[in-house]
Amino acid sequence: MAPRTAARLCARLFVVVLVGTSTAALTGCTGQRSDPDPVVVVSSPASTRRPSPVEPPAPVPVHDAALGAQRPPVAAPAPVRLVVPDARIDMPVDAVGVQDDGQMQIPEDADRAGWYRFGPAPGDPAGTTVLAGHVDSRLSGVGQLARLREVGVGATLTVSTVDGKDHAYRVVDVQRVPKEAAPVDLWFDRTGPPRLVVVTCGGTFRRDTGHYADNVVVTAEPLGGQP
Amino acid sequence: MRARLAAGLAAGTLALVTLAAGPASAADPAQLSVLHGVPGLTVDVWVNGERTLDDFTPGSLAGPLDLAAGTYTVAITAADAADASSAAIGPVDLALEAGKNYTAVAHLDAAGAPTATLFTNDVSTTPAGQGRLTVRHVAAAPGVDVLAGGTAVISNLTNPDEKVLNLPAGTVSASVTATGTTEPALLGPADVPVTEGTSTIVYAWGSATASPSTLALATQTISGLHGNPSGVNAGEVGLVSDGGAPVWPYAVAALAAAGLVALAFARRTATQRS
Repeated sequence: MAPRTAARLCARLFVVVLVGTSTAALTGCTGQRSDPDPVVVVSSPASTRRPSPVEPPAPVPVHDAALGAQRPPVAAPAPVRLVVPDARIDMPVDAVGVQDDGQMQIPEDADRAGWYRFGPAPGDPAGTTVLAGHVDSRLSGVGQLARLREVGVGATLTVSTVDGKDHAYRVVDVQRVPKEAAPVDLWFDRTGPPRLVVVTCGGTFRRDTGHYADNVVVTAEPLGGQP
Repeated sequence: MRARLAAGLAAGTLALVTLAAGPASAADPAQLSVLHGVPGLTVDVWVNGERTLDDFTPGSLAGPLDLAAGTYTVAITAADAADASSAAIGPVDLALEAGKNYTAVAHLDAAGAPTATLFTNDVSTTPAGQGRLTVRHVAAAPGVDVLAGGTAVISNLTNPDEKVLNLPAGTVSASVTATGTTEPALLGPADVPVTEGTSTIVYAWGSATASPSTLALATQTISGLHGNPSGVNAGEVGLVSDGGAPVWPYAVAALAAAGLVALAFARRTATQRS
């Protein structure tokens, strides 16, 4: 379903009032703090027209529910390459999902990065593109992302997508965090501003668990009028 | 809270919900969708005596509407009735709780008489990588099985019940048969998308006894229910470990192993080339 504008939503809430509900339904419109009057809220900033209460209410959205009648949203092109010149990182990117234990899937080859395919891609208007790669692996030894910690704030990252487009990002944060405290919900955010996070491991390797104790995480924001 | 947030996402109202965030309270809206599953009958839907849906056609889905929690009286009349007094279905009272997500379905009961059922939609978070598939039987038909790839995944579903499954994201080729049979298919096979983080609700509606059969599938989707991976384990060997446990012996062994593997690869490649 395409996101509706606040104006349309409020218009529908106005309909709700008409059908006899209490004005409590209007609490959702309090975001329009500049004017608490629900009728005025209907008037979006783009329009100076002030609908009067006698105007017919906006219709409730109705669509054909037949299977296949709603075309699925077109997915943004998948990332295929990650380049970080400052850290001599240039690696292919594979689409990955989730392991049985609930952890993000990571390519076995430490010279390839994985892109969390259920989350946003660089061309999406919102949310965080998540790339991750092994710092080292049984298959291929030390990986390129071992140099991720050398990346500084302000460095440029480029993610190329399968449509041939290059998406440039600027690093805004480099962190090493204990895995227990990893802000996973922030990394995999789907609704906030467009961002890129690149995750690998670091810190002490714990032989009892077979994992490193920490995550090394670079957060970057799109450069220029992206995406 | 999570479910409520997810429901908000589904309606594209994240910003509004966030602004209204706080402990769940009676001020949280309920969400209501309405599905028309009575074949051959264009209707008007009246809520608390006001015409809310005009000329609502079979197989159509309306909403979701954000409604304040409370009880709503819904009546369904022939299209363009003057008022709600001569209802074809109802009036029924729908008790909507704050923060919940509902679908009211006008449909036929198993014997073919028009009725209405209020379903509560499961908008809890789906595990990362999975979607939710709900099947609802609202057709004038006996109990059915739902087959996926020829195997019954739902058995003896009867009107007006539902079955909820969490499945890995993908496409399910589903068909509906009479309970205990694998053919003939009453419906399908049809490709039903199971989208990650989305609840896909499939309704079997219409009448199996009509001639020709009016059985059909309708779908409703509620997105934004996704869960996140639990973490990122992105190292396997300890070659770049900081201090702590002595990993050098292990690292050297791993390097040697990696070297052997590389050598083996190189040899094989060389062999293949020669």
